[in-house]
Amino acid sequence: MKKLILGVFAGFCAFSLTAQQKIEFVEYDLPNGIHVILHQEKSTPIVAVSVLYHVGSKNEKPDRTGFAHFFEHLLFEGSKNIDRGEYDKHVEKNGGALNANTSMDRTFYFELLPSNQLELGLWLESERMLHAKVDNVGIETQRSVVKEEKRQRIDNQPYATFFTELFKRLFPSHPYNWQPIGSMEHLDAAQEEDYIDFYQTFYVPSNATLSIAGDIDIEQTKKWIEKYFGSIPKGQAINLYRDFLSLSDADFSKKYSVEKSIFDDKDFFSSKNAKAKAIIAEYAKKPTTVTQPGKPTEKPTSVIKETVYDNIQLPALFIGYVFPEQTNEDIYALELMNAVLSGGSSSRINKEVVERKQLATMAFSFGYGLEDAGVGIFAAIASKDIALDDIQKEFDAQIEKIQNELITQEEFEKVRNQFENQSVSSYSTIAGISEGLADAHVYYGSANYINVELEKYMKVTREDIQRVAKKYLTKDARVILHYLPKEESK
Amino acid sequence: MKKLIIALGLITPAVLFGQFDRSVVPAAAPAKAISIADPVVFKTANGITVILSENHKLPRVSFNLTVGNGQRLEGQKAGLSDLAGDLILSGTTTRSKDEIDAKKDYIGANINAGSNTLNLTCLTKHMDEGLSILSDVLLNANFPQSEFDRVVKQWESNLMTVKSSPEAMGKNALMSALFSNHPYGEVVTETSLGKINRDDVQQYFKQTFVPDGSYLVIVGDITKAKAEEAVNKYFSSWTGKALPKVDYPSAKNLNGNRVIFVKKPGAVQSYVQVAFPLDVKIGDANHVPLSVTNSIFGGNGFGTRLMQNLREDKAYTYGSYSSLNVEQQGAYLSAGGNFRTEVTDSAIVQLLFELDRITDSYVTDEELSLTKSVMTGSFARSLEHASTIARFALNIERNNLDKDYYKNYLKNLDAVDKDKALEIAQKFFTAKNCYIVVVGNESVLESLKQFDADGRIEIVDAFGNPVQEMKKADISAEELFKKHSFHVTNTTSEKNRDKLLKKIKSVTQDIEMSMSQVPFPMKSVQFWGAPNSEVMTIEAQGMVIQKTYFDGKSGYESNMQTGKKELTAEEIAAKNKSVGLIPEINYTTSGMKYELLGIENQNGTDMYVVKLHDGESEMYDYYNTQTYSKIKRLIIAKDPETGESNEVLTTYTDYKAVNGVLMPHKIVLSVGEMAFNGTVKSITVNKGSIADYK
Repeated sequence: MKKLILGVFAGFCAFSLTAQQKIEFVEYDLPNGIHVILHQEKSTPIVAVSVLYHVGSKNEKPDRTGFAHFFEHLLFEGSKNIDRGEYDKHVEKNGGALNANTSMDRTFYFELLPSNQLELGLWLESERMLHAKVDNVGIETQRSVVKEEKRQRIDNQPYATFFTELFKRLFPSHPYNWQPIGSMEHLDAAQEEDYIDFYQTFYVPSNATLSIAGDIDIEQTKKWIEKYFGSIPKGQAINLYRDFLSLSDADFSKKYSVEKSIFDDKDFFSSKNAKAKAIIAEYAKKPTTVTQPGKPTEKPTSVIKETVYDNIQLPALFIGYVFPEQTNEDIYALELMNAVLSGGSSSRINKEVVERKQLATMAFSFGYGLEDAGVGIFAAIASKDIALDDIQKEFDAQIEKIQNELITQEEFEKVRNQFENQSVSSYSTIAGISEGLADAHVYYGSANYINVELEKYMKVTREDIQRVAKKYLTKDARVILHYLPKEESK
Repeated sequence: MKKLIIALGLITPAVLFGQFDRSVVPAAAPAKAISIADPVVFKTANGITVILSENHKLPRVSFNLTVGNGQRLEGQKAGLSDLAGDLILSGTTTRSKDEIDAKKDYIGANINAGSNTLNLTCLTKHMDEGLSILSDVLLNANFPQSEFDRVVKQWESNLMTVKSSPEAMGKNALMSALFSNHPYGEVVTETSLGKINRDDVQQYFKQTFVPDGSYLVIVGDITKAKAEEAVNKYFSSWTGKALPKVDYPSAKNLNGNRVIFVKKPGAVQSYVQVAFPLDVKIGDANHVPLSVTNSIFGGNGFGTRLMQNLREDKAYTYGSYSSLNVEQQGAYLSAGGNFRTEVTDSAIVQLLFELDRITDSYVTDEELSLTKSVMTGSFARSLEHASTIARFALNIERNNLDKDYYKNYLKNLDAVDKDKALEIAQKFFTAKNCYIVVVGNESVLESLKQFDADGRIEIVDAFGNPVQEMKKADISAEELFKKHSFHVTNTTSEKNRDKLLKKIKSVTQDIEMSMSQVPFPMKSVQFWGAPNSEVMTIEAQGMVIQKTYFDGKSGYESNMQTGKKELTAEEIAAKNKSVGLIPEINYTTSGMKYELLGIENQNGTDMYVVKLHDGESEMYDYYNTQTYSKIKRLIIAKDPETGESNEVLTTYTDYKAVNGVLMPHKIVLSVGEMAFNGTVKSITVNKGSIADYK
C-alpha cells in the first residue's frame, strides 16, 4: 500500500512538459548536391555560416590516419583567391570569429559574423569548397602545428589517452579503431598526392551541408547561396577544374588526354572551346561517391584487461562497452540509463562511489554516440590508496542493480525532467542551432529531428532502461583499463 | 520538352553567375545598430543590489548571487574560502546533502556555489522549487562534519593531481611569485588544508555570505514584478553586515627577469608563462587601450603577433596567447603557451622579442584595425547571451563605472590609435622585468639560465614553494671532511690537527635552553669523552626530564614519561660510527655511509650537502663552501613504532674557539613547529669523566 501511495505522489509531482521551442527552418538541395538549411533568428545582428563535410577519421585509410583532422587545419591555409594566412583575417577584420572541429564521423567549419557580412561568409566557404590551397607549403606548416596539438591535448595531459586505448580494443577492425588526431608517422609519410586525393574525394558538393542561422533575410540568402554555391559544378567536374589549377600542363594532358590550353583560365566553367565544354559536361556526369565504412562487424567477445602507465599521480579506471549507433532507438533508453547512473550529484554513481564509499575523487559514466556504433564508458579517478579493483566491483554492483531492478518512479521522473531542461538549453545560440540542424540532417536524415528529439526520450519506459542495461552493459565482453603512475612500471 | 525546361532551369543560375569574379571579396551590407538594453537595478532593505535582465527567448531563468567585498588573506589556512565554497551545498539544518541533490536534480536545475557565489539556473516553471533550495542554503547551511571530512579527503587526492597538470603548477608558481602577501598569491597545499577545520568554514560562510553589499543578478524569462516578488519572498529574511574591505599590496614589480622553474619529469612540452604586473583598475582610462594592445600582441585569434610568430612561422606550438588579467584586487599580463621541449629556450627568446617589439615601434594600421574589428565583433556577439547584459550591469555597480561605460565601449575602442597603443605598450609592457615561469623537463634547465638576471633559477614545487637546486660539488667528500677539520682546528696539516685534538680528552657544555611554548628556562648538559662516550641531559625546574648515556660500549636513554631504556645493539653500532671530537675525520674508517650530494644555495649562502647514514637514521650535514664550517644537520628520524618520520633540524652558529677548537655557542633545534633555542653558557675541557654521569 505504501508503495502505491508513493507512486501516486510521484505521479502528481511530475511536471507538465514544456512545449519545446520549435526551431523553424527552410531546407533544400542544390543541383550539385549541397544540402542547404536556413534558420532565421533576429534578436542579435549576427549570423552563423557553417559547412559540414561528411568525412571524419572513419573515412581514412588505416595507413593514413589523422587526415580528416589534418584537413581541418589545412583548409584554413587559403584558396585560389585567398592568400596564405588571409583566410582568418577576412573574418577577423570584419568582426567575426571562425573555427572548425573534426570527429570520427564529420568535419565542421563555421564563421560567426555580424549579419551584414553574411555574403563574406558564403564567399569564404565557397572558396574552401571549390579550390582550397592543398600544397606542400601548407602541409609542412600544419604538420608541425598538428604535432603540437597532439602533444598538448593528448601526450602531455593526464589520462588523455584513454579514448585511444579504449577504442582500439573495442573496435578491432573498424576505423573507429583510431582517433581523429591519428598517427604522426602517417602524416609524415603522406605525399602531396595523398592530400590532393583526400580533398578530391571528400570535399565535394554532394558531401556537404550548408547550414546558416541568425539574423538573415531568407530570400536574399538564397540568392547569394545560388551565386557562390549554385555555381559550383556537380560531379567530377570540380576535380577536373582542381587538376587544371594544380597539375602541370604535361601531367594534366597525361591524365585527361587534352591540353590545358583549351580551357578558359579566367572562367573555367564557361570555357568556349567545344571540346572543353564536352569534357566539363562529361565529368559533371561522373558522380562523386563517398563510401562510408558501415557498422563494425567485430567487437570484443571477452573481457580485455590492460594496464597503461601514464604521467599521473592517482590511478584511474576506465571501462568501455560497445553501444549501438546513435540513430538506434535503444540510444534514448541508454542515455536515460546513464542519467540515472551519473546525471547530477544525486545520481547513483556519484552518491555511492564518490560520496558514500569515497572510492573515487571523480566517477562517472557516459555514452559516446557515433554514426556507426557507440561507446559506453565508466570512468573513475581513484581516491588516495584505493585499489582500482574495488571501484570496479562497485561499478559492477551498480550495473547489476540497474539490470535486475527497475529504477524508481522518482528517478524516472528526475531523468525525464533533466532531459527536458537540457533540451530547452541546448539550442540557445545560433552557432548551436546551425550545428544541430546540420548534424540532424546528416545523421538522422532530417533537420527536423532537433524538434522531435525530446519526444523520443519521453517515450522511453522504465522497462526499456532495464532492458538496454542488460543488453549493452555486458560483463563478459568489455574493455577494462587500469591507469597507473609511470614510476610504478619500474 | 518539360524535361528540357527543367534541365535549363537547373543550369541557368550557373550560367548567370558563371561570369562573376570570385576574386572579389564581397562588400558588407549596411551595418545594423547594436543596442544594449538597460537592465533594471534596485536595492533591497537588507542591502542586496538586484540586477534584472529580462529575456524571454527560452523558458528558463537564472539567479546569480555574488557576496563579499574581495578575497582576504588566509595565511596558514590557504584554501579556506574555496573549501567553504565546495561545502556550501553539503546540507542545511532542514535538508541533508542527499535531499538537496535529489531535489535539485528532480527539477533538472543547476545549482552551484563558490567561495563568494551561489547560482541557480532552471526552467521558469520550476523557479519556486529552485529558489526554496537556494534560500534554505543561504540561511541554514550547516556544514556537517562528515561532509567536511569527505571533501577534505577529496581535496587531498586532488592536490596530488596538481602535480600532473602543467597549467596548474605553472599558475601556482606564477601567482605565488607575483602576489606575495596577497590573497591572489596564496596556494592551497596539504599542510594548509590540514589546518582548516569545520569551525573555520562555518565562520567564513557566516561572515561572507551576508546581504549587505551583495549583488543578485537575475537573467531570463521573468518579469520585473515576478522578480521583485521572488526577491521579497526568498531573500528578505537574510541578514548580516559585510566585513570591511581590506587593501593588499599590488603585484610585485621586478628589477630584471626572474626565471622560476617547476620540474615535470617526462614532460614532452614545456609550459611557459612570461608575466609582469600592471597598475590598472577595471574600467579605468587605460583599460580599453591596454586590451587593444594586448589583443594585437597575443590576445586572441590567429592573427596576433604571438600566434603568427610562434605557431604560424616557427611551429613551436599549437597555440601561443597572452592574457590580460585585470581583476578586482590586482592586475597582471602573462604570455606563453605549451612549447615542445627542444625549443623551450627559443620560444622564450621569441616571447621576449615580441614584448620588446611592441614597445619599440608602432603597431601597423592593419593590426590596429584588425584588432578593433575583432574586439567589436566579439563584443557584438557576446550580446547574444542575456547574461552579458547582466554582467555589464554587475561590473558597473561593483566597480563604480560610468553608467554608460558599455554603451560607450565601442566608441572608446574606436578611439584607440597607433600613438595610444604605443604609449600604453611603453607604459605597461616590459621584456626586461618579467617573471618567466617554465614547467617542464629538467633537461631544459641549463638553457634557461641566459634569461635570468642573476643566472640563478629558482626551482619551486607544484605549489610554488622553493625547492633547492643542487650544483655539482667542486671537491670530494673526503677533501671536504679534511678541510672542515682544518677549519675547526685552525690548522693546515693533519699532523698539527691531530696533535691539537689529542690534547682534548673531554668537553663539557652547559647550555641554557628556551622554547616559546614553555614558560620556564631549561638547562642542558652535554658531555663528550674521547674517543666516543657521550652524555646529554635536559633539566627543567630541577628535574632531569631526558637523558642519554653512552660509554662507548653500552648505554641507556631515560625519559620522564617513558622511563629508562637500554640502547639496542643497532643504536650502539650507529653511535660507534661517529667517533672523535670531529667525527668527520673518522667517517672513512668508522663505517658511516656518506655521499657528497652537491652544492645548494640557501638564502644566499652556498653549502655543501653531505648525506649520511649510520644504520639507524638518515642525516644531512650542511657545510659553508667558503669556510667549511658546519651550518646545520638535518636528521630524518623514523619512529620505530608508528613508522612515521620526523625531521629534526639542528642549526649551529656563533662559533668560538675553545682550546683551539671552534665550537658553536648557539644551537637551535627544531622539530616540526617546535624550536628550542640553546645558548652555550660555558664549555670546559678535560674536566670530569663519563663515570660522573652514570
